[in-house]
Amino acid sequence: MSTDTLDVHTLHWRDPAYPQLLRELHGAPRQLYVSGSPERLRTLLSNGTVAIVGAKRASDYGMETARSLARDLAASGVTVLGALAEGIAAAAHMGALEGGGRTVTVMPGGLDTCCYPASRRGLYERICTQGCALAELPPGTQPRRFSDPTRRRIVAGVARLVLVVEAADRPNALFEARIAQELARPVAAVPGRVCSPLAAGPHALLAEGARLVQSAQDALDALYGVGSTHQHQVASSNALDRQLRLVLEEVGAGRDTVTKLVAAGRRARDTVVALAELELAGALVRGDGGRYLCRAQQ
Amino acid sequence: MLARARTFTIEGLQARAVAVEVDIRSGLPGFTIVGLAGTAVREARERVQAAILNSGLQFPAKRITVNLAPGDLPKAGPGLDLALACAVLAASEQIPKERLESHALLGELSLNGSVKPCRGTLAVAQAAREAGLDKLVVAPQRAREASLVEGLGVVAARSLRSAVRILSGNKGDAFAARMQHDGQHIGGEPALHGVQRSGEPDLRDVRGQTQAVRALIVAAAGAHNLLLSGPPGTGKTMLAQRLPAILPPLVSGEAIEVTRIQSIMGESPCEELISHRPFRSPHHSITAAGLVGGASRGWVGEVVLAHNGVLFLDELSEFSRTALEALRQPLEDGRVAIVRARHSAVYPSRLMLVAATNPCPCGYAGEAERCRCSEAELARHRRKLSGPLLDRIDLLAQLERPTATAMQAQPAIDSRRAREYVLQARERQAARYRDEGIAVNAQLDVSLLGRHIALDESAQAMLRRVQERGVLSARGQQRLLRVARTLADLQGVPDTSARHLAEALSWRPEMATESRRAA
Repeated sequence: MSTDTLDVHTLHWRDPAYPQLLRELHGAPRQLYVSGSPERLRTLLSNGTVAIVGAKRASDYGMETARSLARDLAASGVTVLGALAEGIAAAAHMGALEGGGRTVTVMPGGLDTCCYPASRRGLYERICTQGCALAELPPGTQPRRFSDPTRRRIVAGVARLVLVVEAADRPNALFEARIAQELARPVAAVPGRVCSPLAAGPHALLAEGARLVQSAQDALDALYGVGSTHQHQVASSNALDRQLRLVLEEVGAGRDTVTKLVAAGRRARDTVVALAELELAGALVRGDGGRYLCRAQQ
Repeated sequence: MLARARTFTIEGLQARAVAVEVDIRSGLPGFTIVGLAGTAVREARERVQAAILNSGLQFPAKRITVNLAPGDLPKAGPGLDLALACAVLAASEQIPKERLESHALLGELSLNGSVKPCRGTLAVAQAAREAGLDKLVVAPQRAREASLVEGLGVVAARSLRSAVRILSGNKGDAFAARMQHDGQHIGGEPALHGVQRSGEPDLRDVRGQTQAVRALIVAAAGAHNLLLSGPPGTGKTMLAQRLPAILPPLVSGEAIEVTRIQSIMGESPCEELISHRPFRSPHHSITAAGLVGGASRGWVGEVVLAHNGVLFLDELSEFSRTALEALRQPLEDGRVAIVRARHSAVYPSRLMLVAATNPCPCGYAGEAERCRCSEAELARHRRKLSGPLLDRIDLLAQLERPTATAMQAQPAIDSRRAREYVLQARERQAARYRDEGIAVNAQLDVSLLGRHIALDESAQAMLRRVQERGVLSARGQQRLLRVARTLADLQGVPDTSARHLAEALSWRPEMATESRRAA
């Protein structure tokens, strides 16, 4: 993206549009660069803000969960923050764009330098038009090795809640969560399968007392207190009939291939047809190796 | 003295007429060949001289000039030897000239004067009949092959002496009787049955993988392109190797085409008309030229050798990108047009593509704990298989690691029964497309699709939803309909219903990669 198509504003520490929550961070940047108008940033950050963070190499389950959580949160008026990397963060941005576009990303270099990874350029441009992008470094600066942790501290600093979807149990992987803990802000985590190494991070946080998040409503409760805000219902366009719902439940229970469903006593041809129907209705998607994944709708 | 003999040279898949003119006159003894003769043809000088002398005939000690007409056509191969020797003998008045005008001669000479078989005899026989020649003189080993062509007398010559006898008006050497195809002569109605060849691998050996076996049968029934994807050791190659056994035999026109190609490429002795479909599985180090042809004049690639049969690409992602891209035209048009600086040709390549691939470079994508591929490796792998090539795949079968119970279960189907299903479905297609000039659903083009695919109401509604979803390209939708039609043919019903469409949809590669593309 070149500078002339990008509307870059500078936000000084004293500027009223400078994110309020970021001021609490020790060593917060003196000034920030923002694409688009500072008013839009202020609007986006005025309500609740959730940073959805996690592994770059996430599983299909993690990607799909991050995406649907972000979509429902954005639709409920919460702004989703992320670091526009591979994996969970990218999925969160995409989900937020689907849910209305309330999303803010933080770039590692200047706002006009080619975004990394380059394959995310399209996503970056969509975020800039619908949401906002922030950077600590002035336009024209290339991202450096140290840029990644510095931008992640901004992501954590702007967020009222840090939500970890999939991460290894390593200090680096849980960086945002640790910053939130230092700032005495709530941390939430999505559980995974016990045997998956990517579930170790969230599980460690849960053991320390992080909020358990299964749906966007749990995250809203963590932000505003239980029962104070209700999740905006994304209207399900077509109600599924009972037979399809049963298949969907079985897939959700882990029988995620035709073979497994057939082994559980279903007829092969009917199962294939039902799965295709569900896919067409958007209730299922296929991940690596042909496994079916539920796309959370309700 | 002047003499002229008729023969043919092979260029690509065509036999081209060549006139061998020999002029003998007084002068310093010599033997010159002109007329774009290839190395093998220039070396014929030595063979012809030795063969004539060793047959007890005279080699004239005069100035001999040979012209191969037309002068702008390159001649290659040793098949011109016999015609050259006979023209020399006629010019030196050792044999009468008149029969040389009506007899085409094809054969390589040995130094002792015996005639050896040549590749492409069938193509030469067809060209000889079209050129209006009465007789074709060939080696006895290839006489059966040449006699496949109606309306052409085939005479076998074991040696140069036999050829001299034939051209002097005597009979040729004996050879086995006319070849037959499925109990019938060429040109008769094809018999759409045939038996499994012994020793072919059987679907009985496959445990589990019922979905993939189903995909294999559907692909065979409609001649659809199939991609098998799955972790290592789940039986992708095993399944593909069992495909020839469930394919229907070639019908007569196809059999002639296949035999002709095989004969030219010298892949098989062509003792009989080939009735089984070719199955080509080139190694993944193949170049684009090796795959589609065009390396040198007349060189044909694997897609042509797989004409009317199967091209199997194992480890699809290991093939070079240029080679895979080169497959696009042959897959779409059923022919490949080769254009190079000094030659161009169009070859048939109506084939069924079957490919096998791992889901990622390490093979374990989807099993998060086992897959060790980096994001960049995964992206590269997907890119290689994405887009235009995937668009031309009709069925994507995703194999999974079989469970212990599946390994112990009875096989779902054996090859004999699978073949019966396939044959029944093919018969229904053949009956439906009798007047359209096509044989299988895979060949349906846009206009024929509308005429022959009757969607019932529920199926139309589903197709509309597919279109609204916007995942499938126009080509993808056409392929979806063709597969749905095959599913209806396998079931034996006239109308394509929503169930057929839904099952066809579950095989579409776009559906399996949709979440990836969005992410």
